[in-house]
Amino acid sequence: MKQKEKIRWQFAGVLALALVSGVIAYPSVFSYFPFPNAASVENSLKVNLGLDLQGGIHLEYAADTSQVPVGKKQDALQAALSVVERRVNAFGVGESVIQLSKSGSEDRIIVELPGVKDVEEAKKMLKETPFLEFRESNDAALSNQIAQINDASKKQADEVLARVLAGEDFATLAKTYSQDPGSKDRGGDLDFVKKGQFVPEFDSVIFKDDFKAGTVYPELVESQYGWHIIKKIETRGEGDALEVHTAHILFPKESLDMMPDSLRYKATGLSGKNLKNASVDYQSQGFGTPQVALQFDAEGSKLFADLTKRTIGKPIAIFLDGQVVSAPTVQNEIPDGRAVITGNFTLAEVKGLVQRLNEGALPVPITLVGQQSIDASLGDNALRQSLFAGFIGLLAVSIFMVLYYRFLGLGAVFALLIYSAMLLAIFRLSNFTPFPITLTLSGIAGFILSIGIAVDANVLIFERTREELSYGKTVAKSLEEGFHRAWPSIRDGHVSTLITTVVLMILGTGFVKGFAVILALGVLLSLFTAVVLVHTWLRFVVGDWAENHKALLVAPKPAPEEENEKSNHSESGIKMEKKTHEEKKPVARKTKPKKRRK
Amino acid sequence: MIHIIQKRKYTYWISGVLAVLSIAAIAVFGLRLGLDFKGGTMIEVRFAKSPAPQVTEVQNALATLDLRSLTVQATGDNGAIIKFFASDDAVNAQVLDGLKTVDPGLVVVQSDFIGASVSGDIRTSAIWGTIISVVAIAAYIAFAFRKVSVPIGSWEYGWGAVIALAHDLLITTGFFAVFGKFFGVEVGVPFIAALLTILGYSVNDTIVVYDRIRENLLRSRAKSDFEDVANRSVNETMSRSINTSLTVLIVLASVALFGGEGIRWFSIALLLGVTFGTYSSIFVASALLVTRYKMRENS
Repeated sequence: MKQKEKIRWQFAGVLALALVSGVIAYPSVFSYFPFPNAASVENSLKVNLGLDLQGGIHLEYAADTSQVPVGKKQDALQAALSVVERRVNAFGVGESVIQLSKSGSEDRIIVELPGVKDVEEAKKMLKETPFLEFRESNDAALSNQIAQINDASKKQADEVLARVLAGEDFATLAKTYSQDPGSKDRGGDLDFVKKGQFVPEFDSVIFKDDFKAGTVYPELVESQYGWHIIKKIETRGEGDALEVHTAHILFPKESLDMMPDSLRYKATGLSGKNLKNASVDYQSQGFGTPQVALQFDAEGSKLFADLTKRTIGKPIAIFLDGQVVSAPTVQNEIPDGRAVITGNFTLAEVKGLVQRLNEGALPVPITLVGQQSIDASLGDNALRQSLFAGFIGLLAVSIFMVLYYRFLGLGAVFALLIYSAMLLAIFRLSNFTPFPITLTLSGIAGFILSIGIAVDANVLIFERTREELSYGKTVAKSLEEGFHRAWPSIRDGHVSTLITTVVLMILGTGFVKGFAVILALGVLLSLFTAVVLVHTWLRFVVGDWAENHKALLVAPKPAPEEENEKSNHSESGIKMEKKTHEEKKPVARKTKPKKRRK
Repeated sequence: MIHIIQKRKYTYWISGVLAVLSIAAIAVFGLRLGLDFKGGTMIEVRFAKSPAPQVTEVQNALATLDLRSLTVQATGDNGAIIKFFASDDAVNAQVLDGLKTVDPGLVVVQSDFIGASVSGDIRTSAIWGTIISVVAIAAYIAFAFRKVSVPIGSWEYGWGAVIALAHDLLITTGFFAVFGKFFGVEVGVPFIAALLTILGYSVNDTIVVYDRIRENLLRSRAKSDFEDVANRSVNETMSRSINTSLTVLIVLASVALFGGEGIRWFSIALLLGVTFGTYSSIFVASALLVTRYKMRENS
């Protein structure tokens, strides 16, 4: 009776396991109970889906460490990794994965961004470095260029003025030549204005008394914008209310002040890549306005020394992302590779800048070597289809097992359901371990394949049980024998499958790894469910009743041949005779002797 | 009992013809290597325009770019799959710009860019994976049969299993050469993974049959004909061999039919491999042992 009690306890254990796995596998049941944080429990118990199932971007960068001293390689890679990590975080992606991987002699940085759609945007964001550049004044060269441009402009203005005075239509010429976009298309028309509305040079001319309405002013008028040919169209009002209606043709002139900074300063070859580090500093020994202190590397220091030597008394500009942040005038040569960026910075700004500069100085250059992006709709579709396939597969295998192995098969089906629930529960619980499992499409394929493999153990056990039953043993004895004798084959079969899955797990990435991990896990877990659980279940439910209902328990198998008693090499014939007086002989056997005699 | 071993002549012929056809298919058609092995870019787009732009329209839009072996293939889903070889990421951005000139509203549903160094690694690890798996499986067989010596040596079992496995993998690969030729199916890392999985799974059936031969040899004290022992063993294990494979084939067929594009050909590779694996376990592996035995007796 002790034995019976033990079996009962074991069975209770199986039921409890099934219940717990079921609840974890299907945590929506929590919402039916008035738990205070049911929602959060359900939320934390989610299956991590791979990028191929939820959509997202996978980027693989090769890090070029050839310029890094051997001993510092790992540090440099770690630093690069954290730079990338910070940039990804700045992008605001939840649950991104950023990791180093090594393949062959190449070091890689892998970035996975679930849910991100725009690949180009993501790549830009990752590559974006605050671009620090030191430039020197280009004013001398630029002034020359400007003078040339202005000469040409004035020459053209003179020519057009001559044509206007010669009687050509003002409006037509304005349309052709004027560089004032606001009035050009209206024939240069500037409408009525009161005194003081235009720049003084222009204003003083148009309000001259001897400049009559309907005429063109006979000279070019120069203002800060360039050269104007002016026509007075009409006047109205008197005294303070006097208004003049004019039109003009503008020939622009350039000046240094109007030039963009990128032209006013030219590149010196000194940039952020020469930066060793940046730090927060204050203008006078810890007091005063915060500033950014820069320290260049050896090459940078030399460039900086040369630069400051040849630019004494002139400004050099510090560009950050194409903008001048400060343009100090060089007082004397700086040989030690130190520089400061001053400006109207708050401390927070300086800190941000320092951080960005340090981040920006990626210790190793990275190049994109692999990229995968999957649209969420595609991933969603793949998830639905593969789960449906899994469901159909599970159903079909269950039907097969019940039809073929009858009551025993039913036990295998229960075990299969518990197996599926347990595997799902493991996926969910893995989030709380250091090895969270991510389910990919190939992982689902591995899961489905493992369903087919999981019942293999049951097939072996049941086949053996049938065989034992056919020897005339009792049901209980046959079952025990079945489990006992099928075990070596089950074990061997699982080992050979595990061998290849482990190889795939170690060497594979992406698709292969996802598949192999789940398959290996499934094969191991199914060893437990198909053997231990089914054994416990059958020991509990198969009692004395089964002895009289063997055909209900499992389809009977024709009795095997007694090979032990063979004594000579014509055993087939002898065996046949033996069978005939033991029990009815299977039809197939009748033909055997004939076939052998040929 | 069915006379399987005795009729090995026929099964040898079937396997031989299949193997020769497979070698011929691989030699003539070659295998269509996937992106992961040769590197390059695949972009799948879905057009906003309806009807979708013609394939030639897409090709023309990309004509000015220097893309090696460009293929454009329309998908049923109002989209197209564009494949080309370019190991430079900058080119991919230009391709996207080019595609936008055809249909500014198109959506990239999937893109894959595999640089030369990545595909190189993938090739290396695929080769290593195959070598290690084969060696490990061979070692495993040798270990499993280390104690068998009568009437044939343990390494004979090993060889029989290895030849049977090579037969399974060869025929599966042959099928994929044909699929590549006629359906454009590519052979990539998933295919290698499928082959190695077949290796691990199918060896199992062979081992079980061999196990039974060993068991029957030990049990029949008297000197019985090795051929008969082998045949009886195959018959005794046949229903379990077929049924274990059947359950796996059922789920694989379900994946191939309903599981979607992403894993269809992967599951078909497994399906073929398991089918031929079961076939060779029943009809080839044990027959090989008997053939070896006869050869030794005659010499």
